[in-house]
Amino acid sequence: MEWVLRYAQRTMPPSQVAVVCKNAGRRYRWFGLVSVLVIGLSGLFMVLRLDDGELAARAGSPELSLGDSYGQTLLLLTAAWAVLLACVSAMAFWLHPAQAKRSRPHMTEEEVKAERARVGVAIKRMEHVLRLELVVTIVAVALGASLHVGGLW
Amino acid sequence: MDQDLWVASLYAFLHDIGFATYIGGAIAMEYVLGPAQASIPPAQAQVMGQKTADRFLWLVWGSLGLIIVTAVLRLNQTFLPGISELDFNSPFTHGRLTLELGYGQTLLVLFLIWCVLVINGLIITFVLRPRLTGRLGTGTTAAGVSAAQNQKLKAAEWIQRLTRADLVLALIAAVLGASLKYGGLIDL
Repeated sequence: MEWVLRYAQRTMPPSQVAVVCKNAGRRYRWFGLVSVLVIGLSGLFMVLRLDDGELAARAGSPELSLGDSYGQTLLLLTAAWAVLLACVSAMAFWLHPAQAKRSRPHMTEEEVKAERARVGVAIKRMEHVLRLELVVTIVAVALGASLHVGGLW
Repeated sequence: MDQDLWVASLYAFLHDIGFATYIGGAIAMEYVLGPAQASIPPAQAQVMGQKTADRFLWLVWGSLGLIIVTAVLRLNQTFLPGISELDFNSPFTHGRLTLELGYGQTLLVLFLIWCVLVINGLIITFVLRPRLTGRLGTGTTAAGVSAAQNQKLKAAEWIQRLTRADLVLALIAAVLGASLKYGGLIDL
């Protein structure tokens, strides 16, 4: 989304950018939310299925304990998941709805300006959350990949 | 952490990122950007479609390259017991990677899926995309314009079909890849 849609938006008129963002955001937030929930649930089941014997046979002989690199990495991964859940929940239930313009008849010029500024702030916040989400996702993939070899440190 | 384990972790990270980019990009293109594109006027939608497809194709080729390079590097590692059986001389595979075992069979199917994705990518990049972006000359007749439009519509339909097929294949590859940890899903 960041690499593809942002690039395409540069050549589009602002009014159409708003329409595309609104429609893309509406679908993306549900894909994001469902994906994060599926990752969380499947991750939980995988942790519950872990047994010490199987872990010990892996490279680095990891242990499911906070005193071991494997347990610490798993804790960090859980924290990253919580941040992602917070990001997509904020997008789905707060930032995306906040981007909708609320115009009423007989609005004064100041009210119109304030409304535009409010929507602008919501769009900026959405951009920041999207970037944070991307960075945390990449970190989470790195943490997950390191579990194959017993954790990150 | 041991340096070899760091390298293994890096290969796994790049492999996962490559695959996540491919499958996530395909889902976003098909189910997020596609419907959003339909909400703006056709002329602008065409420009948007060209721009997003241009960028997406870079992502596709980058991901497919990263996936195969990191897959070979991971299989070629020598420090993890049981997965150092890749060889660049005939018969190429030994131990767990031989075709008598489920692991080797699953890996072969994964490699074939990767080949199909590359072939589809080549068709889209070098056959269908040029048809879609081709411009008409100044002296084109009305019949020529109509034929060119038909050709563009057919090219767009084929791109959509191939993209959907790629998405299904990528999902199958995800399941097969995940099954490798347990010895592979295919066992003939």
